[in-house]
Amino acid sequence: MKKKTLKVIFAIVIPVFLFIQVYPVLWLFISSVRPSAELATKPFSLPTSFTFQNFAKVWSDGKILGYMWNSFKVTAISLILIVFLSATAGFALSKFKMRFNKAIYSFFTFGIMVPVQITLIPLFIFYSKAGVLNTSMSMILPQVGFALPLSVMMFVSFYSFVPNELIEAAVMDGCTPYGIFAKIVFPLARNTVITIASMYSILIWNDFIFANTFISDSKAKTVAMGLKDYVGAFGNIDWGSTFAAITISILPPMIIYFALNKWVTSGMTMGATKG
Amino acid sequence: MKGMDINMGIIQNKKAYAVFLLPALIFYIFAVFYPIEESIRLSFMKWNGIGAPKFVGLENYAAMFKDKVFYTALINNLVYLVIVVVIQLSVGLLFAILLTYMKKRVTLVKTLYYIPCIVTTVAIAQLFRSIYSTEPLGLLNQFLAGVGLEHVATSWLANVKTVLAAVSVPEGWRFIGMYMVIFYAALVSLDPSVYEAAKIDGASELQILFKIKIPLIKEILLLTLTMCLTGALRGFDIPFLLTAGGPGNASEMMSTYMYKKAFSSNQYGYGSALAVFIIIESIIVVYLLRKAFTTREDREIKQMEKAQRKQRRRVK
Repeated sequence: MKKKTLKVIFAIVIPVFLFIQVYPVLWLFISSVRPSAELATKPFSLPTSFTFQNFAKVWSDGKILGYMWNSFKVTAISLILIVFLSATAGFALSKFKMRFNKAIYSFFTFGIMVPVQITLIPLFIFYSKAGVLNTSMSMILPQVGFALPLSVMMFVSFYSFVPNELIEAAVMDGCTPYGIFAKIVFPLARNTVITIASMYSILIWNDFIFANTFISDSKAKTVAMGLKDYVGAFGNIDWGSTFAAITISILPPMIIYFALNKWVTSGMTMGATKG
Repeated sequence: MKGMDINMGIIQNKKAYAVFLLPALIFYIFAVFYPIEESIRLSFMKWNGIGAPKFVGLENYAAMFKDKVFYTALINNLVYLVIVVVIQLSVGLLFAILLTYMKKRVTLVKTLYYIPCIVTTVAIAQLFRSIYSTEPLGLLNQFLAGVGLEHVATSWLANVKTVLAAVSVPEGWRFIGMYMVIFYAALVSLDPSVYEAAKIDGASELQILFKIKIPLIKEILLLTLTMCLTGALRGFDIPFLLTAGGPGNASEMMSTYMYKKAFSSNQYGYGSALAVFIIIESIIVVYLLRKAFTTREDREIKQMEKAQRKQRRRVK
């Protein structure tokens, strides 16, 4: 490709797609600082005046903080479990000489094909019998279970880049398998950990299906469910408050994303092959 | 993914092996396999949530294959899957490729594109409801009017002909950025010496792209295609939130139908039969995909190794 052609492509394609990708989200933010009356009459023009009334209204009824705390709990506990369980299992599967490794690995990767809907009815019944509906635990269990196949796969593929000679040398120096994992292999996997953590923090924070099925008590509601409430509570009139609530709810994942941005992009293979 | 990754380990310590493996394995079995077993069991039962389930054999499945809505949902789901996967992978890959040629502001573009996948589906659904709306005139209809296509403008979510595409596009749209970031990371992590050599030999950019770069990131492509397909097969949130399968059953998905049968009509047995069908459907799709990929992959890996060896010799 010639440089000029490339430039033309960039000049046309990038802005068009930037508009498609970014404008709707931007519009969401703009709408949240727009007076409700104006939103109803000319929703797509730039606002003529800014107001934080929508935010004040959402904040003052106090529910959103509780919802966010619930989301945070579910996300944080799930992430710790996902990273810990898949890092250790991946290590077992790729650095131990065991006959069943291949079968167990296939068993894990099989889970990628399993749609989450399959859990809804059985877990709902199980939870209602055990009396744990409306708890964070009810969401954490399936979140972690369904994250394991992919994250185990990612760890195994990373560990395959860690040379066996390195481990052999450590074994000869008298290092235990636990020491090898904690001091050598796991620290090397930092990019994999961050890749997995950033991906799943977003997916889990945004979860709607588990929350919608297992949670009905507003005390246990996560922020995604809470937003559905706001939409209902404000009806079709007070869009401003709805958008303000949405804006507040997406700030935490945004902050996490902006902070971890460079890690996501550096990718898991780079650190592995060159480190 | 490949047998190659496995069985290369060297540590021989059964106790440590169990300590590392078992927690994840137990968690996984309980969260994923216990529900599968229970779903299969319940799919042979009739149960409305109260009292004891009654064994009815294959009655639920027989009812399912006579259910017109089931077929509607099945076809809708396939259309949804095609739209979502095409949008996510083709646009994602296209952007990743364009981005590799960009010198400046790469991080900014990546960062901005990624934003929609950080937004919860509830917000996305709300956003698209506004975009599609007719009263007040939504963004899409405003745009159509602006370019002189007023006659195309319609009430996208209420029109039986457009509703399926209208609920598919938001799902495809929101993950473009994520796939772009994954592909971009894979593309830039390639060892430049592999394609620099081809460049010296006079290969064009497009040749390098299709013959070297894309085959080299095949593993990532398979990983993302699998992610993408299973994501689309579980397609639930946005159709459920935007239309709840309506109008009529025009945008009904397998999963929205299952959900309604189980949690609105309390037909847990029939719902489970639908869930079992969804799982079989997913397994078949992903299995076929993996099969298709591995045979071709193996062949190409061999070819590539040969090519690389040749190149190395030439460089020397």
